[in-house]
Amino acid sequence: MPVLLAAADLHVSFYLLPLAAVISLVYSASRYELPEKILIRATKLFAQIIGFMAVVFAVLWFFSLGI
Amino acid sequence: MTVESSPVHRKPWEEKNAVVSGVLAYLIPGAGHFYQGRWFKGLIYFVCILGTFFGGMKLGEGAVVYHLPNNRFGISLNYLAQVCVGLPALPAVYQTRRAKSLQNRDLDQLSAPLTAPFQGKLITKGPADRSETNELVGQIELVTDLDGSFPETHGKFTGTLDGEPIELELNGGFRLERPVSAGFQRTLICAVARTANQHPHESQVLRGYIPRPIVDGYCAPPEPGQLQDLHGRLGKFYDLAIAFTMIAGLLNVLAVWDAIEGPAYGFGDELPPTASETEAVTAPATKATAETPSATPPQTIR
Repeated sequence: MPVLLAAADLHVSFYLLPLAAVISLVYSASRYELPEKILIRATKLFAQIIGFMAVVFAVLWFFSLGI
Repeated sequence: MTVESSPVHRKPWEEKNAVVSGVLAYLIPGAGHFYQGRWFKGLIYFVCILGTFFGGMKLGEGAVVYHLPNNRFGISLNYLAQVCVGLPALPAVYQTRRAKSLQNRDLDQLSAPLTAPFQGKLITKGPADRSETNELVGQIELVTDLDGSFPETHGKFTGTLDGEPIELELNGGFRLERPVSAGFQRTLICAVARTANQHPHESQVLRGYIPRPIVDGYCAPPEPGQLQDLHGRLGKFYDLAIAFTMIAGLLNVLAVWDAIEGPAYGFGDELPPTASETEAVTAPATKATAETPSATPPQTIR
């Protein structure tokens, strides 16, 4: 996945998406055993991570306005 | 809150040898789970952890996982995290030993003829200026003659310069980066033979890369100059590549733990306790707290 992103010449922040997906999947897999539960929990965790990063990005963007 | 484990599930991690599972899970992410028959989780660990590790390696041009012992702790923090990924990071210890050997040094002569694909630039240095061409791609052939009073390396380059076919005679200077070093590219600098109508103060040099065999470049420590070059070319992507490989190692710690002890929260379909069960569990504790005499006597207020 990082290789595909490099080929597409994307901004460095987009590399956090596959990284967040991997962390969500592996973390959820280490918490639960059943596949459905792992996938549901991983999806929620991925959304939480991306949401948190989006909020931090928005706050930083707001404070950097006009600089 | 306590949860009730469902009795219909068997626990595969308790049916197999925990030490074997743990060692397998450490060496190859997911292998411990495959050994236990937990295919879905094994596949998640295998694909996600190794994908992140090798993705980071590719992003950092193969020069991000290496073992350069720290004077204080004997191991760098980067490698401490990376080595948790197991077998893919372990060759770094052996490669460091190979890289430090006396035979591993930059070459100015060849012991055997060299033929390799080359990618780089043609640099022209004149009396007043210096210019670099765009991409020079092709095949390089070099040989060192040991017959004369001093060894002389010469050969030719055949390929394309900006898409146009070109052939260059090479003679007058040669330097090839040491065999064992980080990355899968080996720096080669070679002087182009002078022509009759060339300005006396002008010289041309080929500077670029030839492939390095995977056994010499994988997990080998980089030279300071090489690190500088990587930071210059890749910028923050180099740091990101290191982060990817470190995170892969840390994630494998979770996989090893899961292979030995099972999932931390259970199967995931456990039922929450009913109200009466919760009351039964909490009531004695509340009662005991109420009956316990205070450790410190009440103070008298004067």
